Amino acid sequence: MTNRWFGSLDIVGLEDHIVGALDFFDGPLELSWHHCATTSDLISVLCAMRFHLPAQQIKEARHSIAYLSNELIENALKFKSPGDVSIRAAVGGGAFNIQVKNLIDFAAAERFQTTLSDIIGGDPNDLLISKIEINAAQPDSRESGLGLLTLMSDYGAKLAWMFGPVDHLHRVCLETYASLSITGEIR
Amino acid sequence: MEVKTNEYHAWVEGTEIHLEGTMRLAGSEAYAPVRTLMEDVLDKATTAITLNLTDLEYLNSSGINMIAKFTIDIRKKGEIHLTVKGSSQIPWQSKSLRNLQKLLPDLDLVVI
Repeated sequence: MTNRWFGSLDIVGLEDHIVGALDFFDGPLELSWHHCATTSDLISVLCAMRFHLPAQQIKEARHSIAYLSNELIENALKFKSPGDVSIRAAVGGGAFNIQVKNLIDFAAAERFQTTLSDIIGGDPNDLLISKIEINAAQPDSRESGLGLLTLMSDYGAKLAWMFGPVDHLHRVCLETYASLSITGEIR
Repeated sequence: MEVKTNEYHAWVEGTEIHLEGTMRLAGSEAYAPVRTLMEDVLDKATTAITLNLTDLEYLNSSGINMIAKFTIDIRKKGEIHLTVKGSSQIPWQSKSLRNLQKLLPDLDLVVI
């Protein structure tokens, strides 16, 4: 497998003002899950305050940034191969931007690429409702698969993914990029 | 019937289900106790159920899947009317609760 891209390639790159960068070291999921929530909230506070906005819009921006960050980091923690998760958050161009990087095994990468091929180009809200109906018909399914569709449908987030080459342990480096438009000048 | 942790509280008063706090649980298995609480109400209800989310500050996508499935279960049962109470002050609700009406057009969404 060589590099493969999916999604909105125009959002890739964090040449903006990096606000935060951190790595989650490999550890128990329960602890990482707690760190995910804390980190998402911290990113939202640090990034939302960079925009000149009235109080109510700051509240909404904080929530949207936290939600986006939380869903992407949750996905990385749930589906990653053993290894760290790297997070970079930035603001620029009237948007909040985030990159989440982790390793996944080759089979998971192939399954995820099939999923992405199915959802990219479709209407996000139709896909979301359709996925909810499918989940309801499969009560034993352990994963909802709603996170990315919710971000695209309800939050208007733009997303992109880069799959790197397979390494000698049959792992692939996955970089997930997301951008959320925020109205307001950057401080 | 109730489920209470440091982050959230779920309880039932009659046929009104209250979810309160922050729910960022790790997938469907983690939501199972709350789902069981909701299904118990559905099993016993005969005419109406209210889902009170006015103090639910945060619900991740796995939690949204849970309440969406609950909405579909009510649709399948047929004779139960669902009212969802939400808050205009909580951003995720403004963005996502309207999707429930696409699953169950007769649902009453009351935003306070």
